[in-house]
Amino acid sequence: MKKVIEGSHGVSEAVRLANVKVMSAYPITPQTHIVEALSEYCEEGLMDAKFINVESEHSAMAAVIGASSGGVRTFTATSSHGLALMHELLHWASGARLPIVMAEVNRALGPGWNIWMDQTDSLAQRDTGWIQLYCEDGQEVLDTTLMAFRLAETVNLPVMVVLDAFFLSHTFEVIDVPDQETVNEFLPEFKPSVCLDQDNPFAMGQMAPPPFYMEMRHNIQQAMMSVHDAYEKIEDEFDNIFGNRYGKLDAMLCEDADVVLVMAGTAASTARTVVSALRKKGVKAGLVKIRMFRPFPVAEMREALKNARMVAVVDRNCSFGVGGIFAQEIRAALSGTESRQKVAGFITGLGGRDVTPEILEEIYEAAQKMEDAPDEAIWVGLNN
Amino acid sequence: MEIMVSRSSITTTGNNTGAWRFVRPVYERHTAPCSAACPAGEDIPRIEALVSEKKFKEAGEVILMENPFPSVCGRVCFHPCETACNRAGFDDAVAVNSLERFVGDLLDTSDGSLPFEAKEKNGKRIAIIGAGPGGLSAAYFLSRLGYSCEVFESEEKPGGLLRWGIPAYRLPEQVLDREIKRIESLGVKINCSTRLDSSFIETANESFDGVFVGTGLGSPIMMNIPGEELGIGWEVFLKEVKKGTQKEFKGKAVVIGGGNAAVDVARTLVRLGASVTIAYRRRIEDMPAFGSEIEIAISEGVEILELVAPVAIVQNAEQLSIELQSMKVEGQDGQRAKVVNDGDKKKSIVADRVYSAIGADVEDEWKGAKTVSRPGNRSALYNEKIPVIYGGDLVNADKSVTSAIGSGKEAAIMFDILLAEGGSKAGDEEAVKKTTAACQVGDGQSLSFEAYIGGERRNVVEGVVKFEDINLNYFEKTALKDKNSMKADLNGFDEVESGIDEVSAIYEAVRCFNCGICTDCGICSLFCPELSVLTGNEGRRIELEYCKGCGICVCECPRAAMSLVKEAE
Amino acid sequence: MQQTAIPKKVKYDSEYGSTDLLNPGHVGCPGCGAVLAMKFALHALGPDTMLVIPACCWAVIAGPHPQTSLNIPVLHTAFETAGAAASGLRAALDMKGDTKTTVVAWAGDGGTFDIGFQALSGAAERNEDFIYVCYDNEAYMNTGNQRSSSTPYRTRTTTTPGSGKVQRKKNIVEALAAHRIPYAATASISHPEDLIRKFKKAKDMKGGTRFIHIFATCPTGWRCPSEMSVEVARLAVKTNFFPLYEVEKGVKYIINAEGELPVEEYLMTQGRFKHLGDTEIQRVQAMVDDDFAFLKKKTLL
Ligand SMILES: Cc1ncc(C[n+]2csc(CCOP(=O)(O)OP(=O)(O)O)c2C)c(N)n1
Ligand code: SF4
Ligand SMILES: [Mg+2]
Repeated sequence: MKKVIEGSHGVSEAVRLANVKVMSAYPITPQTHIVEALSEYCEEGLMDAKFINVESEHSAMAAVIGASSGGVRTFTATSSHGLALMHELLHWASGARLPIVMAEVNRALGPGWNIWMDQTDSLAQRDTGWIQLYCEDGQEVLDTTLMAFRLAETVNLPVMVVLDAFFLSHTFEVIDVPDQETVNEFLPEFKPSVCLDQDNPFAMGQMAPPPFYMEMRHNIQQAMMSVHDAYEKIEDEFDNIFGNRYGKLDAMLCEDADVVLVMAGTAASTARTVVSALRKKGVKAGLVKIRMFRPFPVAEMREALKNARMVAVVDRNCSFGVGGIFAQEIRAALSGTESRQKVAGFITGLGGRDVTPEILEEIYEAAQKMEDAPDEAIWVGLNN
Repeated sequence: MEIMVSRSSITTTGNNTGAWRFVRPVYERHTAPCSAACPAGEDIPRIEALVSEKKFKEAGEVILMENPFPSVCGRVCFHPCETACNRAGFDDAVAVNSLERFVGDLLDTSDGSLPFEAKEKNGKRIAIIGAGPGGLSAAYFLSRLGYSCEVFESEEKPGGLLRWGIPAYRLPEQVLDREIKRIESLGVKINCSTRLDSSFIETANESFDGVFVGTGLGSPIMMNIPGEELGIGWEVFLKEVKKGTQKEFKGKAVVIGGGNAAVDVARTLVRLGASVTIAYRRRIEDMPAFGSEIEIAISEGVEILELVAPVAIVQNAEQLSIELQSMKVEGQDGQRAKVVNDGDKKKSIVADRVYSAIGADVEDEWKGAKTVSRPGNRSALYNEKIPVIYGGDLVNADKSVTSAIGSGKEAAIMFDILLAEGGSKAGDEEAVKKTTAACQVGDGQSLSFEAYIGGERRNVVEGVVKFEDINLNYFEKTALKDKNSMKADLNGFDEVESGIDEVSAIYEAVRCFNCGICTDCGICSLFCPELSVLTGNEGRRIELEYCKGCGICVCECPRAAMSLVKEAE
Repeated sequence: MQQTAIPKKVKYDSEYGSTDLLNPGHVGCPGCGAVLAMKFALHALGPDTMLVIPACCWAVIAGPHPQTSLNIPVLHTAFETAGAAASGLRAALDMKGDTKTTVVAWAGDGGTFDIGFQALSGAAERNEDFIYVCYDNEAYMNTGNQRSSSTPYRTRTTTTPGSGKVQRKKNIVEALAAHRIPYAATASISHPEDLIRKFKKAKDMKGGTRFIHIFATCPTGWRCPSEMSVEVARLAVKTNFFPLYEVEKGVKYIINAEGELPVEEYLMTQGRFKHLGDTEIQRVQAMVDDDFAFLKKKTLL
């Protein structure tokens, strides 16, 4: 059924349909609408689930770790400082191979308190062993969340569904909310791979001395790499049932592109219009929207960018001392290829600053003029 | 894909944490101070443990292991056990003596059977001179070791001092008879009215393999004062009363002396109808008689005249006049006051009869015994080829019934060592020392028969449990409630003290710390962090695979029944 | 003669206080009080129990992969998360319809008084349905005896060397009682009967947060002979250094044992207090007396 709802509610609708049993979260703008809706579903009996109103994000993650270890489907949502506070337990969740799904609304970190869009919070968690999927619009949010559960439970790794603060979380769009039966077809009842069991008691998560630890970490890496196949299968199925597919990345007009813009999130929508406009002018522009960041879709990225002369990466984040995080990852991915495309990094749109068509055009033009990619990222849209 | 997470699939039971240990807990029997003090070497903590569990018969059997006279000793023993009792440091000493009587009296001996089997007869014969506590005890233990014993007694009935020297109101005859019957049931032959003199020893080797001499102190000590012959000896008097030739005496009597004999004579006289005064040269508190006996005597109407020494007895018409020198205290003489003549102050009292009760000595006949002092001196005198061992009051430093019993046991063990292996150990004092040392009870003088025959007490380790060794956390202060005590009325020669009832017996037995023995209280296993204290059919055991030697079990043991020993490197 | 009641002879059958849910071969130090605490607790709790253990000595004692010293399900979790992880586990079991299992969070004093206090307070405020146990060895022992807010006044630890910790021990039971949870109690490894009774009571109380604070000697950290482990804990009770009491619904205080010994007898058993002079001992005595007097007042409320 089509509804006009916020991106946040795309998440909460999906969580309701996913029959999650235990949720726990701590409020932080701009995640609040997600958990408020879920609390209401529980209260109204729309969900047969327990919502634990913990006293911090750290405890929220701990609680879902506890619940997931108890063998039920779990969900949490957070943003920014909340995610940073969870950091320790993000490692714990993946190390324990718990299929927790979390919605993460991209927001800037203080100080200067800033509640607006910024990708640094989620990207800073790239080494925690979580699968990260970035969304562009409301429908994608709902669909991705549903797929996240399938994916998490298939590979036994937690999944972070990432959406832009306000630009997506608080923006009303028409979203097709599927019915429960169809969702059940796609997402069957949760059957945990490992969980505490009174009939077969064992300890989980205990000390792993040197003879064992490395194998366990290797196993996580293998699981992460298995996501590529698993994701494709799941998306095929999803497409069959719901008629939507998103890919690990979305490449537009890349085959003959001179410069390819690369980015994640809602800015990709703006970029789409910019690229179309440039094409109309005869400029060979291309676009790659990053959807999956962990595991990084190296093969797909190489394929999409193989003909580009210049790759212009738009990062709404910064790893200080290096530059944009997406640019880094793309450089690393391309470094193994023969063509070794040039990657220029652009940083813009931090802390909620708009990434306007003008900004993207400016970036495109700059990249177009470049012979070589500069070592340092170029900050675009700075005042004065 | 298989997921590899840290999760358990096996338990820790494969870890040999016992390898961490450098000390090891062991269950060890230690000697209780009461047992060490007991002249008969009884296993008192075990007896009380059994009583506390209502196992009265088993408790009696434990006494019989070391002492054939529980009912007798439960009445007449001077109970040094209670003086040594660790519980005295906490609240009151355990009423061990009363418990012994309680347990002894419950023993069913109607068929004369004993709870243990005597060894097969070994064909050796021992002659025992004197059927007193020492001789009968020697016969009892020797019989259990397989010897044939023949006892020779000058009086018409066995018992010696127990029968003739202790008044019936303290030790009823049937109590004594019962316990003697038990000894006889072992096959001991008692020849009464058979007086042997020391010349018997010269030829005894013709029909015996050894001789035990327990003839006691047959010779009264003289006062060496003019008119002494007008007085009556205590032993003569008490014997006459027992034999029934003295039934009544309504006159006035003076008893000279301060020991148990004097008090016995005085109290017996009261029962015959006399009015009695004890004359003693020191103060009442210096009297060697048991304090309780003195108290009872006073309560029965005996008057005690202290600080007077008799100097002469004079016939004064129908009556006797006793001249007394007044004494005064001048310093201490050990535990007692030292007294000297108080100038030439004199007194005299008039009486119908005077009794002398200042003690007894070895008869000249058995003077040879004087070279031996017991206990502790484990040497035998030899005549020709066979060992001759003296025991009882004849040689004991401690002139007490229980010490006599102890010396009889000691003699039995000595005979057994000396006569073992065809008598090859004859004269081998080293062998005696070595073997007896292994069954000595604690640091005391007595020997354990159980240890000698290889019973569990053999495993006792050296040392005596001290008060500090007891873990008082496991005991509640509970004062002594009841012990053998005076009946309300004086009623002829009926027993004056009543024993304790079952409730009191259990109460008292529960008070016992059971020093040095495992009572299976479970504290060790309760507090073992390694779950390494196991209970099985063979009792408690430490699982050394896991025990880390923390020592909590040993430290927590309420009664010092465990020790920590160093692990070998 | 008056009728006499026969005094009880201390005797335990071999089952009492024991459990087959704890395996030997664990790696607790010799004389570890925390192991005894677990042994007694499991005796009371029985097999329908799931444990949540954050970082602490017990996280090691429970066994490294692939071993376990506990024959019940155990969830190891991060240091500060016992209260929250136990909430989540409880929620999962509830959603699965498992009402039989008792969830027990089992944390050290650091994981309770300090880093885990927030999660515990949150859970207690929500009145989560589990038993939270803090076995208290009065410092961070796993990491080598650093001070915690449970470390008593003037205790020497590796981070309070010299004259020892300046601050007094936090009263955690009071803090928990302030949450008005159904049950909060102290217990000691030296008083297994009392401890077991409290665990059974807590278990039967289902439906809210129950907090049990167990005094658990650490011979290694406290520098006392391992065999004294139980005796030291007993002295803590007998000197009122660690009083045994219960608080029902956060307001009803019940004292279980009243000590009468001077606190010096307790302090002198351990190396961590050996540096204390008379003045300091008297100060500790005064603190203990004040605290106990205050506790007694609370029983009158
Ligand atoms: C977030 C975090 N900080 C620090 C540590 C290191 N750490 C592990 S256990 C521990 C101390 C635990 O102390 P306590 O809770 O009292 O338990 P104990 O070890 O004394 O039994 C510390 C500091 C950790 N595991 N996690
Ligand atoms: S309590 Fe257990 S581990 Fe400690 S010494 Fe005794 S048996 Fe060994
Ligand atoms: Mg601690």
